[in-house]
Amino acid sequence: MPEVILSVKDLCLYYATRRGVVKAVDKVSFDLRRGESLAIVGESGCGKTSLARAIIRLLPRNVHTFDGQLLLNGQDIMKLDDEEFRKEVRWRKISIVFQAAQNSLNPVLRVGFQIAEPLMIHNGMPREEALSEAKKYLRMVGVHESFAERYPFELSGGMKQRAVIAMALIMKPYVVILDEPTSALDVITQANIMNLLKSIKSETGISYIFITHDVALSSELADKVAVMYAGEIVELTESEEFYTSPKHPYAQKLMASVPTLRADKKLEFIPGTPPSLINPPPGCRFHPRCPYVMDVCRSEEPPVVEVKPGHYVKCWLYAKGG
Amino acid sequence: MEEGVLRVENLSKWFTIRRGLLAPPLTLRAVDNVSFELRRGEAVSLVGESGSGKTTLGKTVLRLYEPTSGRILFKGRDVTNLKGKELLWYKRETGLVQQDPYGAMPSFMTISRILEEPLIIHKIGTAEERKEAVFKALEDVRLTPVEDFAFKYPHMLSGGQLQRVAIARALILGPSFVVADEPVSMLDASVRIEILTLMRELQEKRGISFIYITHDLSTTRYFSEWIFIMYAGHLVEKAPTKELIREPQHPYTQALLAAIPDPDPENRKRYREVPPGEPPSLINPPPGCRFHPRCPYVMDVCRSEEPPVVEVKPGHYVKCWLYAKK
Ligand SMILES: Nc1ncnc2c1ncn2[C@@H]1O[C@H](COP(=O)(O)OP(=O)(O)OP(=O)(O)O)[C@@H](O)[C@H]1O
Ligand SMILES: Nc1ncnc2c1ncn2[C@@H]1O[C@H](COP(=O)(O)OP(=O)(O)OP(=O)(O)O)[C@@H](O)[C@H]1O
Ligand code: SF4
Ligand SMILES: [Mg+2]
Ligand SMILES: [Mg+2]
Repeated sequence: MPEVILSVKDLCLYYATRRGVVKAVDKVSFDLRRGESLAIVGESGCGKTSLARAIIRLLPRNVHTFDGQLLLNGQDIMKLDDEEFRKEVRWRKISIVFQAAQNSLNPVLRVGFQIAEPLMIHNGMPREEALSEAKKYLRMVGVHESFAERYPFELSGGMKQRAVIAMALIMKPYVVILDEPTSALDVITQANIMNLLKSIKSETGISYIFITHDVALSSELADKVAVMYAGEIVELTESEEFYTSPKHPYAQKLMASVPTLRADKKLEFIPGTPPSLINPPPGCRFHPRCPYVMDVCRSEEPPVVEVKPGHYVKCWLYAKGG
Repeated sequence: MEEGVLRVENLSKWFTIRRGLLAPPLTLRAVDNVSFELRRGEAVSLVGESGSGKTTLGKTVLRLYEPTSGRILFKGRDVTNLKGKELLWYKRETGLVQQDPYGAMPSFMTISRILEEPLIIHKIGTAEERKEAVFKALEDVRLTPVEDFAFKYPHMLSGGQLQRVAIARALILGPSFVVADEPVSMLDASVRIEILTLMRELQEKRGISFIYITHDLSTTRYFSEWIFIMYAGHLVEKAPTKELIREPQHPYTQALLAAIPDPDPENRKRYREVPPGEPPSLINPPPGCRFHPRCPYVMDVCRSEEPPVVEVKPGHYVKCWLYAKK
């Protein structure tokens, strides 16, 4: 088995607000191996983007708590100060494609220059060399290199997104975080981008953290799936396991709510409301919406149970004697 | 048959792109000669490639962009050139859920203020009543507990939460026609279905007509009567929802449906088949059929002549030479 490239342990990111502390990421742990893709799925507002921000340390001003362990290739990167982290880790070892990133390109700068910029800033690479490197990456993401001279408005949405992906790859990071990389694109363009991400992965052995709310789409890339609910990972397993027999009641409900194009199925959504992250429900955070809720769920936090080798579920249903 | 609320005839919206003093300006044909009709209480899903002109069509119909040519009729009135007070009437009758909720919210206002703003502009209710309306609206889109969200600023909300604020804002004045531009693109399946169900209920209860712009074909079958498929500024197929999904006729529509994944761990091991090439430039669109450079069935006539719109079955229209009688 390839080695662990990123190990996340008890990662927390809380925000301070007028109403109280928002526990957006609460003791999240997982390992990511070289060449592996981990999909993170979960409902809107459960903390997926916050988890990404915590890993790449792009934090808003109102951080209340930022804590836990992040080992990148064995190095404890939580120990680095912000300046060291910026110089050594961000973009260089871990990069990110943000949600709605294609709109983040600077409209007045040529595309090639924007892709080349990190090389000039972080590596001090001369302009000409960086620009030719940028063209190489444009070709790699399937965009003709002549587009390096164009402005963003001259590119289609899918091409812009590919340019942003080129930007995230150009520093040759170990890990790329993809935060909803295609949720703004049509399904053909999306399929194109997914094909591209697959081929980059098989050519470079890069690791992805693929954040999406779209369970069907997650299966395009995921070797493993982590399900997030209210700031916590509640299930983590191989994708073969996950798509065929999810164990956590929330994960089961989530799968059941996926509408399929081809089969007529009764639409379901999970009753009740998403939990507050300021005062999450006591015990299991899903208990107010869970069809199998037991007494213990209402008062005690469930343990993480390994139901099969490598398949973890945080739920009382699977605890022995629970 | 229900009365027609909206009738769009040969509508075009072209943008002029200036390139400095010397270069001649370019014309970008974002929406090109589009016609359709929408009845009271009906929803149409507008689906198509990124950049095909969906947002532009929606905004032009709402008179947020000046039409280049064509006519828009709303409740029997020609609203194409309305001005001043009458235009204000049209604006109050209509609503837009903006596509990019990050860009659509003033960052210095709290969520409750953002929702109250349209009520203030149109001088509706007392402060107390407005507050009640705002809280009700937040509850409707399931942003609860309401107090957790009302006093936050936009950057403190997740993408999907902001989208729900955008929906609440578009509905707060009680419009009779709404363009919802990818209103749920950032929401997970469960919340997505919950919100769409809610919009559907409001639509039926208040008789609102909807244009629902989306990339998600799998939800359209549950939430709209019609699907329109847009490609490079043209409507290339219009049909009743279920029929379009069951029997797509236009080669682009067929490719679109084939690209949609179902959850399956095998997906990651294979590449998905997609039409080759890029969506065309709207500045120099391909002659003839705009899809011809990517079409697996391309014929000679497709390369030079614009295909006609053919009614292949009652109510099912396709703009493609394959269906034209020669
Ligand atoms: N700067 C902030 N201050 C306070 N609360 C915040 C801040 N940023 C995010 N939140 C809250 O933290 C929670 C998690 O947000 P996050 O953006 O991580 O969610 P997400 O899972 O990415 O959702 P989506 O799928 O909608 O993008 C949300 O409830 C959000 O309202
Ligand atoms: N204000 C503008 N000025 C010039 N060109 C524009 C303007 N707005 C849009 N365009 C161009 O018009 C075309 C259609 O854009 P539009 O936003 O309507 O597409 P869309 O179908 O909504 O795409 P998406 O699915 O990505 O939202 C694009 O080529 C776009 O670049
Ligand atoms: S008109 Fe011709 S090129 Fe266009 S979609 Fe039909 S067959 Fe294909
Ligand atoms: Mg997010
Ligand atoms: Mg749009």
